[in-house]
Amino acid sequence: MKCWNCEKETGGRPFCPACGKISARPPGATHFDVFAMRPGYDVDIPSLERQFRELSLKLHPDRFAQADARERRLSLEQTTALNEAYRTLKDPSRRAFYLLKLHGVDLDREDAGTQQEMPQEFLEEVIELREELEGAMHTKDLTRAQAMAVDVTARQREALHEAADALRALHLEDHREEELVKKASHALGRVRYFTRFLEQVEEFEEEAVV
Amino acid sequence: MSNNGYLQIHDPLKPKGYAVGIDLGTTNSLVASVIQGKPRCLPVDEGDAMLLPSVVNYAKDGGVVVGARARRLAAEHPTDTISSVKRFMGRSPDDPETRKLGHHKFSEGAGRVVRFEVSGGQPVTPIEVSGEILRALKRRAESHFAGKVEQAVITVPAYFDDAQRQATKDAGRLAGLEVLRLLNEPTAAALAYGLDKGSQGTFAVYDLGGGTFDISILKLVDGIFEVKSTGGDSALGGDDFDRAIAQRVLQAMGQGSPSPSLVAEVLAAARKTKEALTDAPEVELMAGGHRQLIRREDFEAWIQPLVQKTGIVCRRAMKDAGVTAAELDGVILVGGATRVPAVRCFVAEVFGREPLGDIDPDQVVALGAAVQADLLTNVNRQDEVLLLDVIPLSLGLETMGGIVEKLIPRNSTIPIAAAQVFTTFKDGQTGLDVHVLQGEREAVEDCRSLARFRLSGIPPMAAGMARVEVRFQVDADGILSVAAKEQSTGITQAITVKPSHGLTDEEVERMLLDSIDHAEEDIQLRQLREQRVEAERVLADATKQLGEHGDLLQDGDQAAIEAAMAQVRELAKGEDSHAIKEAIHALDEVSRPFVERVMDQAIRKVVAGHSVEEY
Repeated sequence: MKCWNCEKETGGRPFCPACGKISARPPGATHFDVFAMRPGYDVDIPSLERQFRELSLKLHPDRFAQADARERRLSLEQTTALNEAYRTLKDPSRRAFYLLKLHGVDLDREDAGTQQEMPQEFLEEVIELREELEGAMHTKDLTRAQAMAVDVTARQREALHEAADALRALHLEDHREEELVKKASHALGRVRYFTRFLEQVEEFEEEAVV
Repeated sequence: MSNNGYLQIHDPLKPKGYAVGIDLGTTNSLVASVIQGKPRCLPVDEGDAMLLPSVVNYAKDGGVVVGARARRLAAEHPTDTISSVKRFMGRSPDDPETRKLGHHKFSEGAGRVVRFEVSGGQPVTPIEVSGEILRALKRRAESHFAGKVEQAVITVPAYFDDAQRQATKDAGRLAGLEVLRLLNEPTAAALAYGLDKGSQGTFAVYDLGGGTFDISILKLVDGIFEVKSTGGDSALGGDDFDRAIAQRVLQAMGQGSPSPSLVAEVLAAARKTKEALTDAPEVELMAGGHRQLIRREDFEAWIQPLVQKTGIVCRRAMKDAGVTAAELDGVILVGGATRVPAVRCFVAEVFGREPLGDIDPDQVVALGAAVQADLLTNVNRQDEVLLLDVIPLSLGLETMGGIVEKLIPRNSTIPIAAAQVFTTFKDGQTGLDVHVLQGEREAVEDCRSLARFRLSGIPPMAAGMARVEVRFQVDADGILSVAAKEQSTGITQAITVKPSHGLTDEEVERMLLDSIDHAEEDIQLRQLREQRVEAERVLADATKQLGEHGDLLQDGDQAAIEAAMAQVRELAKGEDSHAIKEAIHALDEVSRPFVERVMDQAIRKVVAGHSVEEY
């Protein structure tokens, strides 16, 4: 990457080391690149927070309010990328989904469910949970829904652990890639379902309060 | 470059004048600036008041009056006087908020934007009305500084959606201001507090204004104000307390369908009653020949459902921020409606602690906005403080079956972006419809429709082959823009997204041109008003002298002076400022011999006094 101002190499840094001007974002940079980190499931959160604050102080559009249009645009682009990277990496579940995406499986795509051939037991689990929640909502049984939420939160945590183990293993070994990616996507598929389930309970709670 | 700390000129070739912070409120508006290192509110209305009532009167002669004088005109000219215009910003004519009890007259068949019927010209939009308030603030700040004011930070409720933000920014442009930043009101308040106290920790800001309610949870670490979550109701405020009183009073009066002027009068009386009930246990309300005793406990019972509503929002905001009430380091009160004792009690109960209110809740937002304006324009302050704010409501797209798919969740730190890939579903398809929504609910009809647009110009390909990436960018003002790119060919398309209930760019441009055309007219109107005020002053003075010194009048004096006074009085009703000036001059001439005798006598008295005692 060449600096737009002095044409020296920026080395992918947020500011040109030669002239100090704000750089353009390197194409294909990952969320981990934003923090100059090696990709992996385990992230030191206090250090991430500190880096986020330091980079925000330098890159935020408020720092470029009186700068020219190009620098204002670059500041917006870099800060947008910084905020997205921070939001993704600080949350264990989002981080896991993102790592999986770097391994070629994007569970955010609409056809992700069918693509991943979720196992039969999971589909049975889904049907059972959904029927129970519908029953609770039908009879306006908030206590029952809340008890289900406690149980599902535990299952969600367990599934995330499973995914984390598979993702960690992916970075240590290189011969079982296909198997590990499948394991991680199945676990994260469950996480996703449980998250939606908990959101539904939350909505039900809010309606019950009003 | 000046070193007095408040003249923000960085580029000697491009002087930018003073930068100010503006709190464009539902009930009152304020302008503040950092002067010698400290934020201060500037006098903007009669009697050097810091609060400019957000009321605009459109006179038959095309003149526009803003502030306390406009508010006094509301009872007599209810439909020509627009108050609480902020409630209508970015809203459609059929919005429930638009239809609440009020004294305005709306244009029929207006389409996407609310338009008020006023005398003296075309119907006006809320953006134009807000533009008048901002223009008044700009002018009055300029006369205070005796210098140009061109850049401003304008505050908005944190819970304002994209359309409401866009409308506010357009109003700033109409007033001839470069809007440096739209700043969320609770964040502004925290900034005003944070800098004074150098606090660290997690704070809740409870902001109940005239028409909007906001709650924000902020974390302050090393000079960074990071908003963790925000929530609110952009249709709930102190105005609703007034309305709660007014509705009961109108009922008691047996007024099923009251006239606009009665509504305006009762609402004004209700507002006074509400304010008085802060200190008194009961207040007698008087309006339209009707008297009614209102007890504080009645009032509290009437507003209880409204106050309770804020509690639900507070709890959700704490949950979103991942904090409990006990973990907070303080609760800050903002907005005039937090003066209501029942509100204070309720806040103390929800957060389990006494709230802070040491900065005037009316001024705190403007003061914070002034600090932000200074931070953005003053190169010497660049490393001190940074605000990281969030988007208050999730952004999503309509998918199959009228369901909203969230692309950017609420409380994401801004600026933020998200992309979605669309594929064609028919062979040779060249267009795609995209519907952008904002809100938390799943169904399209429960969310706010921001924009609908058609992606066209997709190269004809087999179904599913064309892949169009639509990228949504939310900037640091919380305003959305959209860009689209066909991935296989790399064809980029710029899309102009204007809110469904806003004005198009062309409409704003036209209004801008109109306001320039009217600039000359404005000057004439100002001169006319100045001469009218001068005429009033001269007449009052002459009446006083005639009354006190009738003994000094000589033959014919009185008749001549009274004729000249009548002439001034008559011309002051007209439009010709020059003629009024001439008449004032004529009155001066006619009364000069009399005035000189009055002066002589006064001097003689003084001299006589001295001669007895001193010579």
